[in-house]
Amino acid sequence: MRSKNARGIARRDFLRVGTVGGLSLAEVMRLRESCAAESGNTDDINCIFIFIIGGMPHQDMWDLKPEAPPEIRGDFMPISTPVPGVQISDVLPQIAQVTDKLAILRSLTHSKSVHQDGYHTMMTGKEPNASLDRNNKNNNQHPSLGSLVARLGNQGALPPYISLPNFIDSGGPSFLGPSYGPFVIDADPAAPEFEVRDITLPVGVDAERSLRRQAALQQINQLERQVDSQIQALDSFYQKAYSVMTSRRAKEAFNINVESARTRESYGMTSIGQCCLLGRRLVEAGCRFVSIENGHWDTHRKNTKSLRELLCPAFDQAIPALLNDLSDRGMLEKTLVVVSTEFGRTPRINDLLGRDHWPNAFSIVMAGAGLTVGQTIGATDKQAAAVIDRPISPADVSATILKVLGIDYTQVLHTPLGRPVPVVDEGQPISELFV
Amino acid sequence: MIRTIFYVVALCIAFRADAAEIATNRLEVSPPEIIIGGLNREQQIIVTATTDDGRLLDVTHLCAVDSRDEQICSAEGPRLLGRADGKTSIRISYASLEKVVPVEVVEFDTPPPIHFQRDIIPLLSKTGCNNGGCHGKASGQNGFKLSVFGFDPRADFNALVKQNRGRRLFLAVPESSLLLRKATGATPHGGGRRIEPNSLDFNLLTGWIRQGAPWGDEQAPQVTHIEVEPRQRILGMRGEQQILVTAIYEDGARRDVTSAALYSSNAETIAKVDEQGRLATGEFPGEAAITINYMGHVGVTEVLIPIQNSVAAWEGIPVNNRIDELVVAKLKKMGIVPSALSNDATFLRRLYVDAIGTLPTSQEVRRFVEETQPSKRQLEIETVLQRSEFADYWSLKFADVLLADRKKIGERGAYVFHQWLREQIASDRPYNEWVRELIAATGYSNKYGPVNFYRALDQPEDMTKAISQAFLGIRLDCAQCHHHPFDRWGQEDFFGMAGFFNGIERKDLSDGSQLVFHKGHKQSKLPLTGELVETRALGYDSFVNLESSDPRIKLADWVTSEQNPWFARLMVNRLWKHFLGRGLVEPEDDLRATNPATNEPLLEYLAQQFVESGYDIKSIVRLILNSRTYQLSSETNDSNAGDQQNFSHYFVRRMPAEVLLDAISEVTGSAEQFPGMPPGTRSVQLWDNRLPSYFLDTFGRSPRTSPCECAKSSEPTMSQALHLMNAPEIEAKISDERGRVALLLRTKLSRDELVEELCLTALGRLPESKELEVAERLLSDQPTRHAAEDFLWALLNSYDFLFIK
Repeated sequence: MRSKNARGIARRDFLRVGTVGGLSLAEVMRLRESCAAESGNTDDINCIFIFIIGGMPHQDMWDLKPEAPPEIRGDFMPISTPVPGVQISDVLPQIAQVTDKLAILRSLTHSKSVHQDGYHTMMTGKEPNASLDRNNKNNNQHPSLGSLVARLGNQGALPPYISLPNFIDSGGPSFLGPSYGPFVIDADPAAPEFEVRDITLPVGVDAERSLRRQAALQQINQLERQVDSQIQALDSFYQKAYSVMTSRRAKEAFNINVESARTRESYGMTSIGQCCLLGRRLVEAGCRFVSIENGHWDTHRKNTKSLRELLCPAFDQAIPALLNDLSDRGMLEKTLVVVSTEFGRTPRINDLLGRDHWPNAFSIVMAGAGLTVGQTIGATDKQAAAVIDRPISPADVSATILKVLGIDYTQVLHTPLGRPVPVVDEGQPISELFV
Repeated sequence: MIRTIFYVVALCIAFRADAAEIATNRLEVSPPEIIIGGLNREQQIIVTATTDDGRLLDVTHLCAVDSRDEQICSAEGPRLLGRADGKTSIRISYASLEKVVPVEVVEFDTPPPIHFQRDIIPLLSKTGCNNGGCHGKASGQNGFKLSVFGFDPRADFNALVKQNRGRRLFLAVPESSLLLRKATGATPHGGGRRIEPNSLDFNLLTGWIRQGAPWGDEQAPQVTHIEVEPRQRILGMRGEQQILVTAIYEDGARRDVTSAALYSSNAETIAKVDEQGRLATGEFPGEAAITINYMGHVGVTEVLIPIQNSVAAWEGIPVNNRIDELVVAKLKKMGIVPSALSNDATFLRRLYVDAIGTLPTSQEVRRFVEETQPSKRQLEIETVLQRSEFADYWSLKFADVLLADRKKIGERGAYVFHQWLREQIASDRPYNEWVRELIAATGYSNKYGPVNFYRALDQPEDMTKAISQAFLGIRLDCAQCHHHPFDRWGQEDFFGMAGFFNGIERKDLSDGSQLVFHKGHKQSKLPLTGELVETRALGYDSFVNLESSDPRIKLADWVTSEQNPWFARLMVNRLWKHFLGRGLVEPEDDLRATNPATNEPLLEYLAQQFVESGYDIKSIVRLILNSRTYQLSSETNDSNAGDQQNFSHYFVRRMPAEVLLDAISEVTGSAEQFPGMPPGTRSVQLWDNRLPSYFLDTFGRSPRTSPCECAKSSEPTMSQALHLMNAPEIEAKISDERGRVALLLRTKLSRDELVEELCLTALGRLPESKELEVAERLLSDQPTRHAAEDFLWALLNSYDFLFIK
């Protein structure tokens, strides 16, 4: 597996050097930092990865089948969009207005119909095998996209991978080890008391006192000859942590309260709305991969009512607000927005007026990052049950995301036991997005 | 990025040999007689000069090689190529030395028939085609699947010759076969060009296809083993060494497979090796082992790069015990001068944290530092070994490796398993006895701790891996699916071992617990062929009468017997790693011939002492703690600053997650309250590894999902730094009304006494000028309570606190 991408080769060589005995971790850290600095972090494309937990009903949102019988087509009607020939659901009227900013991928397909297996498949790009222990934490068989970015990508002033507001295990680092797990914000930015752990000073310590403490610490640490590589490595994180605390820009990235009421309301005062807004702030300050997990889409009962009243309104407000805001700030070209999910839902509406799990065919959405948007890719049959054109695998999605983020998706990682594992298993970037 | 590339390139350039201009007096060529036959028609030679001062110098790539008759044999540097049948000779010259070696080329006109398994499979391995990252992975690559490392040659034969309606091979025009067009990059290939057109490999493949792509003669002699030359060599920095690999066949034939073998170095900055077996040492002294694999046969070349210009500071280096003698012997060989002895305060803190996971109190530090008795270190070691925290800390260590995961085995299971482990340690029960009991455990999971080990593991295959890894240091995972690439184990070994566990039953009882028992022996089948495999322990012939009782009893006897070559070595290596920061074998639980110890006599000695002590863990701990090697300073000198392998100084390291949390609680005088645990429970005492704790998660407690030590991480992260500086939980400890600062201020200490007490508690030593200056500044210009808290905050975040030095 050889990449023709110059950046990829250098990165890989460097990582190989980093794994051997003689180079200290600290030296590796310095190399990483010089890489980040010299490649110019502002050039990097960052990703906001919105994961719809439960399974997004593709036929009710993105891939409507008005010709199908009522028990298949459901209660939603297609509406036109600014893109000629592309229609989406009337439950997403605001998103319909920004369809020209979206690429709707209608031909996702995999074989896993249990939630945890589906999370693993779509968050790591690899279907788990039977030995996945669904009840056990840190049990990924492959690193998540965010962890791959943390391990292989350039880094900025913020932790490279941040997850909010309710981390699910498939977002974990697998064999890369805990160091490449996400910085988890386990609070909802829509809550009035929202605060990010350890970013702000604890109660009782004001800025003046904090400065005094930092000065004291620096004096105690610096007087010594810190030659040991372990210490140097932690030291580099201390410097970074310190810069997060002191750099207004980095620290304030976590503070959603500085946004105007108008901006906050434009995203909607909902969990997904405020997460999207916080996500924008984080990538703006240099986070490489923000993962937003949004829950409760598992509509086994009352699918129509749930979508219409509970789920879609917040979603329909948040996504266009995010895209428009990124666009207004000139960030859309540098930000990849992905709306993913573990699978779609069954073609036929069940006795409880719900839809069940359906990984055979479903839709996800991408936007930004200079991709070719205003298009749909792939197609399903008359019942939105099977892919009939251009099947897209979860690995293809991973390859696409990593490619956009400037990471060599053809490289091979090694587990601690030495087993070679390709970053992406047989996935190819979705070429229609790069024309 | 540019700097990175430069750095990598600079490293490569530095590997060029600079052996010229060294006076030499003798030239040796290997092999001494050369017969080029068989299919590969090439022979690598090694040319070694002896220097005037008696050292061996590889001049393989520096000498001139001339063939007397180019029609018969041509020389491409030190690689000879057969051209036609006949006899000739080559002349090798280096400096003023010369040597003539006879060469015979045979079978050129009548090459032996090509055998797929013997001749083609190694080629697919060397080119990386059947690598686990490519066509060798479980799903293959783009519809073309090979078995990883060619462990299933029949399937590979089918894949190449029969699958896809045979379109991968084109018998009429072999060069146009898809296989070759892909491999040479003539047709777009995700893996790029793997084979050069018209190379030997290319010709072998086309020759095979031209012969009709046969499987080959079933009677054709197969490889029995490989010979590697040299086995060991002392080299200089920026030196080089050609490796020669010879395959020996069942009929006694020898064939050069140097360019067909696979090489990997265990320390690439010390020595790198290229695809042709040409090894180059780097900028650092040290040791490296090159693992060589040809068709599952493994060999190793060990190289040692001593420091060149070391001072002869060897007289009078004191030794405390046999450990030190063996370490110093190695250091002499390497030209490394060890660090000085650590001071008393540093030693004490190190001893407490390493042995019992606890910081010494300020009184303990004072008492020890002021003690004048010459044998005070030895006495203190004895005192520490008798403390109950020893059992707390070591039961945590064993619970990590033995998968006492509450999520998997339930609250009751985790509790009784942890209790049982703690009892074994606390009562100093011999290690072989309790491991034997654990391997053969039968009973109720809510009453009898060790059976929970079998509840953490689902399948016989998982038990096979866990027991091999945890008690023998053998990583058998690879061998479940294919031959271990760097060890002798194959699927027969794996499933032979799995046979011990086939009958394990876990019967659910009404109270939610399980009865674990073995219902009788049953052989395992090879997944590939469905053949039954004889149940046997690794590298051990067989057991009689496995049917008569629980077969695990025989396995347990074998694992824990004195004859077992791994059992004692693994445990002493774990202990060594724990106390010295690096295993004699690294990773500490990866024992194999191709991963040699950096000090084999020492590992051997410790293992022997362990056996002779009756598998008494504490006796080995005592031996290590009393060695001067353990007590050396972490401050390095010019000769040992770069030493990572020979224990010439102590390795600085961060306190492990649980120990660090306890240390913060202790220093702040504010105990951690874990939900559902009695007040005062320390984190090293927790039996429940899933108790919510942001601190323990962030600092990397073991997930207990794998018996491999590699599962636990101590790598620093930004979240750790942020947590230590800003966490409200830690701030609450610092400012606790009943905490240390508040308490000390109430006792009306002078400022100097306060500073001294805090430094002794947090750092295990008296304040130095830097702490005194900081304290002076902080305490002089603000209210004392705040100032003292700020001072303690700075101490807790300082590297002198976080690290054991």
